[in-house]
Amino acid sequence: MIPRREFLRSLGASSALLPFLGNLPSLSAAATGPKKRLVIVFSPDGIVRKTFWPESPGSFLTPGPVRVPALPPILEPLAEFQDRLLVLKGVHNQILGDGDKHMRGIGCLLTGIELFPGNIQGGGETPAGWSSGLSIDQELRNFLQANPATASRFGSLEFGVLVPNRADTWTRMVYAGPNKPIAPIDDPYEMFQKLYGGQKDRESMQSVLDELSEDLAKLSAALPAEDRRLLEEHAALVRDFEKELSSHHEAVAHAVPVLEQGVVEQNDQMPRISRMQIELVVAALAGDFARVATLQYTNSVGQPHMKWLGIEQGQHDLSHEPNSNAAAQEKLTKINAWYAGEVAHLARRLAETPEPGGDGSLLDHTTILWMNELGEGNSHSHEDIPFVLVGGGLGFKTGRSVQLPGVSHNRLLLSLAHAMGHTGLVRFGNPDYCGEGPLGLS
Amino acid sequence: MFPTAMRWLPLVALALPPACAAAGDHAGLAIYREHCERCHGEGGKGTADVPQPLVGDRSVAQLARYIDETMPEDDPEAVIGDAARQVAEYVHGSFYSPVARDRNRPAREELSRLTVRQFKNTIADLLGSFRGHGPGIDDRRGLLAEYFCHRDFNHDVGLVYERVDPAIDFDFGIEGPDPERFEPNRFAIRWTGSIVPPETGVYEFVVRTGHAVRLRLNDDLGEPPLVDGWVKSGDETEYRGVRRLLGGRAYPLALEFSKANQGVDNKKHEQLSHASIQLLWKPPHGVLEVVPSHRLIPQQGPPTFVVATPFPPDDRSIGYDRGSAVSKEWFAAAMAAAVETADHVLDRVEHFAGVRRDAPDRDGKLRAFAKSFIERAFRRPLDDHSRQVYLERPFADAPDADTGLKRAILLALSSPRFLFREPAGSADGFATAARLSFGLWDSLPDPPLLQAAAQNRLATPDEIRRAAERMVADRRTRSKLRDFFFGWLRVDHGPELVKDAIHYSEFSPELAAELRASLELFLEDVLWRDGADWRRLFLEDAVPVNGRIAPLYGLSMPFDSGFHPVRLDDGRRAGVLTHPYMMSVLAYSGATSPIHRGVFLARNVLGNVLKPPQEAVAPLAPDLHPLLSTRERVELQTSDVSCQTCHTMINPLGFTLEQFDAIGRFRTSEIRGEARKPIDASGSYQPREGDEETFHGARELAAYLARSRDAQEAFVQSLFHALVKQPVRAWGPETLAKLRAGFEAGSFDIRRLMVDIVVLSASPPPRSVP
Repeated sequence: MIPRREFLRSLGASSALLPFLGNLPSLSAAATGPKKRLVIVFSPDGIVRKTFWPESPGSFLTPGPVRVPALPPILEPLAEFQDRLLVLKGVHNQILGDGDKHMRGIGCLLTGIELFPGNIQGGGETPAGWSSGLSIDQELRNFLQANPATASRFGSLEFGVLVPNRADTWTRMVYAGPNKPIAPIDDPYEMFQKLYGGQKDRESMQSVLDELSEDLAKLSAALPAEDRRLLEEHAALVRDFEKELSSHHEAVAHAVPVLEQGVVEQNDQMPRISRMQIELVVAALAGDFARVATLQYTNSVGQPHMKWLGIEQGQHDLSHEPNSNAAAQEKLTKINAWYAGEVAHLARRLAETPEPGGDGSLLDHTTILWMNELGEGNSHSHEDIPFVLVGGGLGFKTGRSVQLPGVSHNRLLLSLAHAMGHTGLVRFGNPDYCGEGPLGLS
Repeated sequence: MFPTAMRWLPLVALALPPACAAAGDHAGLAIYREHCERCHGEGGKGTADVPQPLVGDRSVAQLARYIDETMPEDDPEAVIGDAARQVAEYVHGSFYSPVARDRNRPAREELSRLTVRQFKNTIADLLGSFRGHGPGIDDRRGLLAEYFCHRDFNHDVGLVYERVDPAIDFDFGIEGPDPERFEPNRFAIRWTGSIVPPETGVYEFVVRTGHAVRLRLNDDLGEPPLVDGWVKSGDETEYRGVRRLLGGRAYPLALEFSKANQGVDNKKHEQLSHASIQLLWKPPHGVLEVVPSHRLIPQQGPPTFVVATPFPPDDRSIGYDRGSAVSKEWFAAAMAAAVETADHVLDRVEHFAGVRRDAPDRDGKLRAFAKSFIERAFRRPLDDHSRQVYLERPFADAPDADTGLKRAILLALSSPRFLFREPAGSADGFATAARLSFGLWDSLPDPPLLQAAAQNRLATPDEIRRAAERMVADRRTRSKLRDFFFGWLRVDHGPELVKDAIHYSEFSPELAAELRASLELFLEDVLWRDGADWRRLFLEDAVPVNGRIAPLYGLSMPFDSGFHPVRLDDGRRAGVLTHPYMMSVLAYSGATSPIHRGVFLARNVLGNVLKPPQEAVAPLAPDLHPLLSTRERVELQTSDVSCQTCHTMINPLGFTLEQFDAIGRFRTSEIRGEARKPIDASGSYQPREGDEETFHGARELAAYLARSRDAQEAFVQSLFHALVKQPVRAWGPETLAKLRAGFEAGSFDIRRLMVDIVVLSASPPPRSVP
């Protein structure tokens, strides 16, 4: 991997400009074929089996002998994308070891490996620490960044929506390595600054230097002749710097999102924050700032109160209600359908955005994977983890629901890697759960 | 470029006046007077016949050839060969070359930009001025410790006791701090206070524990803790983090430790286990060690913003950092630092400007904050023009108030009104305030000082003096003075002290760090106890010693005992002159170096100008002359006549410290070959005025230095330059002598001298007549 600083230097940008530069200019995209992107979306506390899983596997589309299953209530918001939808049933998180089901649910979901023993006591089982391995998105990031043809400015971006401000096993999904959790950025303004701060700073700096020249002349005139030289040299530096800034102007090819101002991070703003983050995900992919992104809604054991759906109770509390509590089941269905709606919105925005320099839309070159730390909340089941894929980035055969024979989710992680081109990855996470390798999903 | 006989010319010259009589007795001068002066005039100023001054940029060789072939015009054969060369050297070095011309310019206060140190301090204090005071200075050390019989820090439920712990280095075993009052698996401790690092640089912090731990150290709002080990995971027991810190300031610290499982409160899986905790650091020139008690205080203030942007170093060519030149690299760094600072403020704008993200009067508050920010950055109120340029337009042109604020900050921090010091001749109360604060703190005026300026209370010398006296009692003054002393003693770069493993097997990097700390404490004691008597620097016979240093000097002390002043070697010690760290630095790995010690004394302490030898000279290896003493070996090496001009001064000064070996132990003899040779520590010095002084050993040398006018003058001049960063001569030719006389009259009180200097320099010098 070429360090960014070194790379920019090779392009002739002086280190002085580093704080003001935006995206890395991409290397020829044409040389490597179409881009492949992966966006992983997490929502917490399990789903309602009855209202989530299609009645039977099969195509959502094909007429004829196979019956077309209608989309169940939770997935209903994804109806407009049912031809690009892939629902996987029968994929289990089989990782055991320390930590309660919520902890292992989130901490092993993308890592496929046990948590370290530690001091975080869960609702049961033995206490645990962080994951003992890196997560698949970071594995892919490292793989993509190692090749200049697939490297992007950040490689990966970690988005969040209302992730609690505490670092523990329940709030971290992404790992750069053993004991190296990565905190998602759940403040859209902070993420905006990360993505576009350099460009905005350059604009500000240019406007500032303009103003400065005038005052320099005024100051210089008031100085004794012997001291004028230093100020004149200073003025020359200001002019040179301004020139250098404008000569390195890179027009951003995509529309920079305009964020609504003044949105405070709190429960009731969750829908707005979600949409702001989705806009930034789409923009970041369009600008090729990253090829891999994660979007984490709250945390495992997440407790949003979805008052905008008319639901006062917290999601986690509801998820502990027995299946016999019809009211709770209905509310949980609504809550999960809301997440599905956000996934659908993300898919829609990707579908509306043309693939830069390529054919079709961003969605044609991006796969969204939506998932959860539990198969079902009240039983804390790690069986049938709900994995829903949308989009064409990984070339999987979509428009269908697939029943798998109870496979370990490590094999799905391997499938993602292989579909992204990382075919040298034979095992991921705990090798004992990698079985016969990637699942055949194409 | 110089003929052989002149190789080490001009060797020794008086420091004062600085356009020293380097060429006063130059053979070329006589030739010039005889053959050149009638046309070119005295000092090349020109005459009626040849009115152009004799200046140019030919090299000595070029000039010599030109003279050889063409000069004097009426008789080119009169000055040829060696004579042409000698006169060329004289002309070139005295007034012809750009360097000579620069040296001969009348001293004046020159426009300067902020030095790097000033820039970083200024940014720290500019932001700090919006968030209240740090802790004051007192004698308390260590950290405030709160012990809880619970797994977290609930005062109402679990606080068992509070106390001050000198350092964090505990082994609680399996049973915990006190089995009567704490469950072995359920206790938590929080230590709070501040850390006061001695010098500016990057500090690495290490926390060692097998349990939940979190270290906050100068974390600003919204920043994660420096160390977050609250989740204990796997076999991790050591956590590291680095912080860039400005020396001498107090940085808030909180270390939280909990011996209990976290998460769900459930004792089922608790197991008895061992508990210990250590807080260590590795300072920029130190080794990894438990953070010593004398760097910890139990009080706390707000965090300090430390600019991370790297800067190119300042010009130090004339002995002190100064902002005499601008460069592309410097400007780019200043711009990057401006962005870094603006980002830091904007990220916490709710806090700095006192306004919520969704507040209705947000725009007005941001604008009011911007105005204060710019005024503090410029060290004066905005006039109409500045208000338009720096405040009104950035807000008017920006798409929203946040961007407006950001642009206003960037603009202010890019402006010469911020980046440059008060120009020569500026003399109002605000300029006085800035001269005082940069003089004592290398930073901008604090709000009380600005207020005094605004109320015209910095007009009379008495008012200025009172302000300066208040400002001396500030950590920033201490830090500036500390850095001056480390520069003066030439230990500011923290040399890698490695000693010969056979002769000095007791010596180690850890010991070197302890010795450095001992020197720090010695200086602190001289400077900040009563009197601040400069003579104690030489005459004090006690050295701060702790349990690790003690064995080296034949003392028995418990290994873990802290620093105490100890009178070593029956009173034969002489302050900094024989301090073990100084003696170790001014020595080779296996032997002393009278030359290094002599150069330090001649140049830094006594203020003489020594030119380096023209050629690098390797020291004679002791083994080549196994029968010679170190003194004899040095005499042999420097016996060449070309060496003698300097070494007649250097060697006799350096020899007086020969009773202190290469790691600063006292000795009366040294082993040479098979025999012990007695040490001859006699020496001498020829002052700039008066008769030669002779002395034997460090104590007699110290007694001389303490009354030496050369040493006093040299110290006053060095301190003036370090504080003011302008030539003292710019304030008139008599200023230095007056300051020295005042220093003597004030019982050599260094703090009072500092006040005298900044009071004097708080008024601009009278305009010099060209």
